[in-house]
Amino acid sequence: MANIIEIENLSFYYGQKRILDNISAAFGKSAIVALTGPSGSGKSTFLMTINRLWEEFAGARMSGQVSLFIDQEKLDIYARDISLSWLRRKVGMVFQSPNPLPMSIYRNLALPLRMAGWKNKEIIGHKVESVLKQAYLWSEVKGRLRDDARTLSGGQQQRLCIARAMILEPAILLLDEPTSSLDEKAAREIEALIFSLKEQCTLLMVSHDQAQIKRVADEVMEIVGGRMSGL
Amino acid sequence: MRPEAQVSRILFLAATVVGVLLTLAILWFMVRLGLPLFSTHSLRLLLTQDWAPDRGLYGIFPFICGSGAVVSLSLLLAFPLSLGNAVLIHLLAPRHLARILYQMVKMMTGVPTVIYGFVGIFLLVPLVREWFSRGSGMSVLSAGILLALLIAPTMILVFLESFAAVSTSHLRALEALGGTRRQKLVHVILPGARRGIITGFLLASGRAVGDTMIALMVAGNAVATPESILDPVRTLTAHIALVMAADFDSMEFKTIFACGITLYLWTAILTLSLRFLHFKATKTSMQVGHEQSF
Repeated sequence: MANIIEIENLSFYYGQKRILDNISAAFGKSAIVALTGPSGSGKSTFLMTINRLWEEFAGARMSGQVSLFIDQEKLDIYARDISLSWLRRKVGMVFQSPNPLPMSIYRNLALPLRMAGWKNKEIIGHKVESVLKQAYLWSEVKGRLRDDARTLSGGQQQRLCIARAMILEPAILLLDEPTSSLDEKAAREIEALIFSLKEQCTLLMVSHDQAQIKRVADEVMEIVGGRMSGL
Repeated sequence: MRPEAQVSRILFLAATVVGVLLTLAILWFMVRLGLPLFSTHSLRLLLTQDWAPDRGLYGIFPFICGSGAVVSLSLLLAFPLSLGNAVLIHLLAPRHLARILYQMVKMMTGVPTVIYGFVGIFLLVPLVREWFSRGSGMSVLSAGILLALLIAPTMILVFLESFAAVSTSHLRALEALGGTRRQKLVHVILPGARRGIITGFLLASGRAVGDTMIALMVAGNAVATPESILDPVRTLTAHIALVMAADFDSMEFKTIFACGITLYLWTAILTLSLRFLHFKATKTSMQVGHEQSF
């Protein structure tokens, strides 16, 4: 299987504290990789090195190399000529707690496209509908697209957030404990959604739920004390 | 309800009632002291007539226009300036520069208005006189610029506080979608900080309306309705200060209560109308929060 992510000698620090310790790893295309390990071991930080989201935090620094293979090209994501906006559109992220923006359901999905430069309302409308169908949300929200996204249930909000990340057609989707704040039923729905997305992109999912990992993941990696190993 | 909670509730209620009663008492006090004037001159006449005590005209219309012109100009200048500064400090400036700017803004809030007045008289007024070659330089423009500088730090600090209170999870969401700093500002920070922006504007406008020293020192104090921003004016507050300094019992003196009531109602109407607009604007999101809690 061709790789899509290659990581070499990745170390990460918050102030003087070392969070990740010289990690080297590679992840194949169209797979679901589960990242597990004790709390505070650096799993979320690891995810954030792949979309450079850690750069938004003060006092953090890293060393090493993270490369992505996109359009048959190997790209060092920390190279100077890499646009952060472009990178984050290629590497989507979904967080532990659903975080829809305080705007309508429709605008939550249309905004990423508009920010990426899409202008045609008709095409945006089609893409919104398509991604909502993909997230099994269309039938539930088609009559209330103008409603505030925060009126949705927790599970629906998280599916909306996944749809929001997927509307940009990322090559990689990072999921930071996407079901931990949801009930069993909503978590199962998200799992089904995640499973259905693996044909389209590579998914890296942090999870503590071993049963869930067994059900969904193709590959399991463990991070303990800042070091990564395969399980 | 626990006894401690009951006591706190009663104390807070008492404080609120006292606050409201004090505010109303101030209004009552001004009406009562101004009665000799109000019994001979209708409110309409006082608010619309010119000021010519030698002809028995005690209208405060020129002062209302003076205050309106100076305050409007200062808000017009200060609002974009403050918003821009707050955005610079919060989002754009490197951390160390932002820290320096923030400290400077905080320091500016403590500068006495009379210092601004001195700067106005010795620096700004001669410049205005030179640039426009008209009048003494003491004008709506000079007072408006200085007042803008005076109120800007208040606005900037309130804006900064409201920017900092914007939901981190919303910011992270936008960052993870590839949002640029400008997009973060437009789509998350400004909408999220709307309430704080309105509060900052209100506080600053209250300060602008109530300021006396700057208007007194650099607005020119001419008893005339301004036709241009280069005209000298007398504001309501400057009128109160000028009359009080020279008189204490004449009919002219009684006009200060008409000025006081006008200022009182002005700020009350401004506050209430902005609060109303804000309430209408946020009604939807309040409903959302309500529905979510079920």
